[in-house]
Amino acid sequence: MMRWFDRFAWAARNMKWTLTLCACCLLAIGLAFVYGASFVSEETQVRPFFQKQIVWAVIGLLIYITAAAFDYRTLCRLSWAFYLFALALLVIVLAMGVERYGARRWLAVGGFSIQPSEFAKPALVLALAAMLNRAGEDLGAAGVLCRVLGVAVLPMLLILKEPDLGTVMIFVPIVAAMLFAAGAPRRTLLSLTAIGLIAASVVLAIVIVPEKAGMSEDDQARILKLAGMSPYQKKRIMTFLDPGRDPLGAGWNKLQSEIAVGSGGIFGKGFMKGDQNTLGFLPRSVAPTDFIFSVIAEETGFAGSAAVLMLFAVLLMSGLNVAASAADKQGRLLCTGVAAMIFGHVFINIAMTIGLAPITGLPLPLVSYGGSSVLSTMAGLGMIQSVYLRSRRR
Amino acid sequence: MPSDRLETEISRIRALAACMCLLLAVPGIELARMQIFHAGRYRSSLDRQSIRRVRLPAPRGRILDRNGKCLADTRPSYSIAVYVEELRKPGSLSRTIEAVEAAVHRTGGIIGLRPEIGPEDIRRHIRQRAPLPLVAWRDADWKAISRFAEYPDQPSGVDVFVEPVRTYPMGRLAAHVLGYVGKRDQAAAEEEDPFSYYLPDMTGRSGIESAYDRELAGLAGAQLIRVDAAGFKHRAEMEREAVLGRDITLSIDWRIQRLAEEALSDARGAAVIVEPFSGEILAMASSPSFDPNRFGIGIDPEEWRELLTDEARPLFNRAIQAAYPPGSVFKPVVALAALDSAAASPATTFVCSGSFRIGNAEFDCWQTTGHGAIALEKAIEQSCNAYFCQLGLLCGHQRIADMARELGFGERTGIVLAAGGMTENPGLVPDEEWKKRRLREGWRPGDTCNMSIGQGFVLATPLQVAMMCACLANGGTLLTPRLVLNPSDGAYEAGRRVKCDRRAIEIVRQGMRDVIENASGTGRRAHVEGVELAGKTGTAEYGPSHARKKYTWMMAFGPYENPRYALAIVVEEGVSGGITVAPRVAQIFRGLLALESHDSAAGGEG
Repeated sequence: MMRWFDRFAWAARNMKWTLTLCACCLLAIGLAFVYGASFVSEETQVRPFFQKQIVWAVIGLLIYITAAAFDYRTLCRLSWAFYLFALALLVIVLAMGVERYGARRWLAVGGFSIQPSEFAKPALVLALAAMLNRAGEDLGAAGVLCRVLGVAVLPMLLILKEPDLGTVMIFVPIVAAMLFAAGAPRRTLLSLTAIGLIAASVVLAIVIVPEKAGMSEDDQARILKLAGMSPYQKKRIMTFLDPGRDPLGAGWNKLQSEIAVGSGGIFGKGFMKGDQNTLGFLPRSVAPTDFIFSVIAEETGFAGSAAVLMLFAVLLMSGLNVAASAADKQGRLLCTGVAAMIFGHVFINIAMTIGLAPITGLPLPLVSYGGSSVLSTMAGLGMIQSVYLRSRRR
Repeated sequence: MPSDRLETEISRIRALAACMCLLLAVPGIELARMQIFHAGRYRSSLDRQSIRRVRLPAPRGRILDRNGKCLADTRPSYSIAVYVEELRKPGSLSRTIEAVEAAVHRTGGIIGLRPEIGPEDIRRHIRQRAPLPLVAWRDADWKAISRFAEYPDQPSGVDVFVEPVRTYPMGRLAAHVLGYVGKRDQAAAEEEDPFSYYLPDMTGRSGIESAYDRELAGLAGAQLIRVDAAGFKHRAEMEREAVLGRDITLSIDWRIQRLAEEALSDARGAAVIVEPFSGEILAMASSPSFDPNRFGIGIDPEEWRELLTDEARPLFNRAIQAAYPPGSVFKPVVALAALDSAAASPATTFVCSGSFRIGNAEFDCWQTTGHGAIALEKAIEQSCNAYFCQLGLLCGHQRIADMARELGFGERTGIVLAAGGMTENPGLVPDEEWKKRRLREGWRPGDTCNMSIGQGFVLATPLQVAMMCACLANGGTLLTPRLVLNPSDGAYEAGRRVKCDRRAIEIVRQGMRDVIENASGTGRRAHVEGVELAGKTGTAEYGPSHARKKYTWMMAFGPYENPRYALAIVVEEGVSGGITVAPRVAQIFRGLLALESHDSAAGGEG
């Protein structure tokens, strides 16, 4: 017992403080704006989102310290267990998940709903770190590459089935960054990029060409079905490419989010004084979750939104710093994978908020309301601390 | 592990870090562009989608009589309204509608009135005018309002809502002068910036209300309301208060107006009373009349149709819109034309045998036994048709027509009411050219005779006759009738001296004095003890020969030496000017004298 307590204390004392500081700042900002954006009415004092988010933040911090205290090498050895557990959750969610907005992404567990796809991300990072470490010099070999890609694609397919296109997309930078950091030959990387680009063009072609070619609705639907895509995904892609086609539906969020961000100006309108948020133009269903950044941008202006962006940049840089000084390859890969995961979320979420990327429904790590995201991000950051605590520099 | 592999891996991590920083700079730059350089554009799209402009009608200015007595006022109308945003329920719209309905029912129970609006009205209101209060009982009576105000536990979201409403405290008094108001046509609103919502507002539709609408209407205020995504009011952003309209002071004296209206209370017709040196209209009455209060908050279409189709035409201002054959009140014009042109003198004498024949037309004199040989003054006193036929022939119709025009006949007086959509009738002064153009016939001597006794084609409005009477009263200045005394109306034109020999006017005046003051005068029934009056009666026949009807006239001014009043009255379907109208003139002058003595007594006290 005492041994465990000592290890926690040691971990807490010696952690990389910039990382902890950034994470705590982002969590605090998240809590404040989840409170502000989940405003119901003057009379209703209770803000269930806020109360739940506090619980998630506390659990997240505990996981953070726990992960830091654990030796990441032990975790890597157990990575197949985490990976299989995550896959099992993804199968369960497809079987008995809660359906919301036409997708099965959530599992209801005693009053909380959890999103298994969130846990699949750190699990995959862990699994890939272990695999790529074992592969060593053989990364150029087709067999090794196929195994690695197979491990990555399996959860992606399950998540695509939910469907949750955004989360699937986030796996791409994770796998790419880890392959790159693992020292995969340039030739391998280039051919993978080429394959990826071709695949993306094929998807876009399936979505756009039939409509532009003037095919009937039925034929369009048949092609879409053959390609294994849902009309909902097609709609999202189309809305991104041409938001004007659905100004009251999916295009609405994009438009309102841009107005919110832009009207914030340099210093913003003040906490809980954002018109887009309080008047409900930015729909209340998404304001505390996927569009929390536009609430922050509206209420704190460029000063606040740039500060949040800077916090993430510092967080990512210190994560990659840890990677560069890690004691072994596993540590390097682990840190790189977690950084790529967080970076992917931050970049896509903010880009979507300001109209540069499609509306994908990805949370802003640590800031958006959502327990699963907070827990998986904190677990990832905890693993970085674990690497740091056992790195060469110490 | 070879160190160069480690080097590669670490440099790749560094490259990834650089790459992330560069990529994060992209949204950073976009944020700067949006929030620093284009914030104004996003703010205006935010305002466009969330700001609603509501037009707040200004209370109309009052219309006062010359003593400051209020003839048209704006009173607050108390309505009970529901503030829908306060009753809003989450979830489907029907829950909000139910909540509003429940509040309306509860309020109805408190104030003892049946609800006037149903779920459909509520739904329509929310769809079309959600940020505005929903009026549940418009212009509720004071009992309902006080019951509501004193109720200890008022339903939330329900409150009293005040709107300005036009009211005419004197009822029908001077209705034709004041005119009436109607719901403003919002589509035709001339405001530069369009409003999202308009509250009910009234605009002048007739009379002074319409002619001076710009002054009376004031300046509409505006309220900017911030609405939420569902269109409900979030908060009032700004308000520009409406500016009260200007008061308009009329030359009308409400007491004199009442005298004129009383004189017409049992008849159809019109009366105009003028101050003979200023042209100020002291009274303008038209009978039958209407109550402009019926238009206060918007007249109901049924009532409106009733007013429009009434055979007595109550909305018709007979004083300026109706042109009647003037009959014998036209004779002074003939006398002036003859005297001024020196075609005749006061001594010119003709013989009246009870009728006058020219060609195959015969003109009867009312005195069927004939007046014998009479001279001009007596002929005026007696209103002898035979004399004026011969005088007219002697003078010639062109001179008569010229003199008539000189005295304001055949031409609109330019009274301001005409600007209010109340088309002034110009009357008609016929001449050879007119007859050729309109009837394709030459002028005959019989036409001259007809014209000389104010019949045939001659038409005049009561106002024109009153203005001519004022001109004779003041010794030869034809004035422009003045109805509004507001000082800024400086452009008022005083009038002009008529081109006519002063001695001729004096002779006609004397004849007109005899009409009333001589025991044998046709207007002797207009005599009033204690004041010397002058006037002229008139009776003009119209209608088919088997059912002849008479327009009966009288014009009069007084006191003779120093006139303070000039008036003209026409009564439709009377017996004769002397019998039907003269007593009404006497009644009016008696009233005027009583008012004067009352005023001087009050002034003496003060």
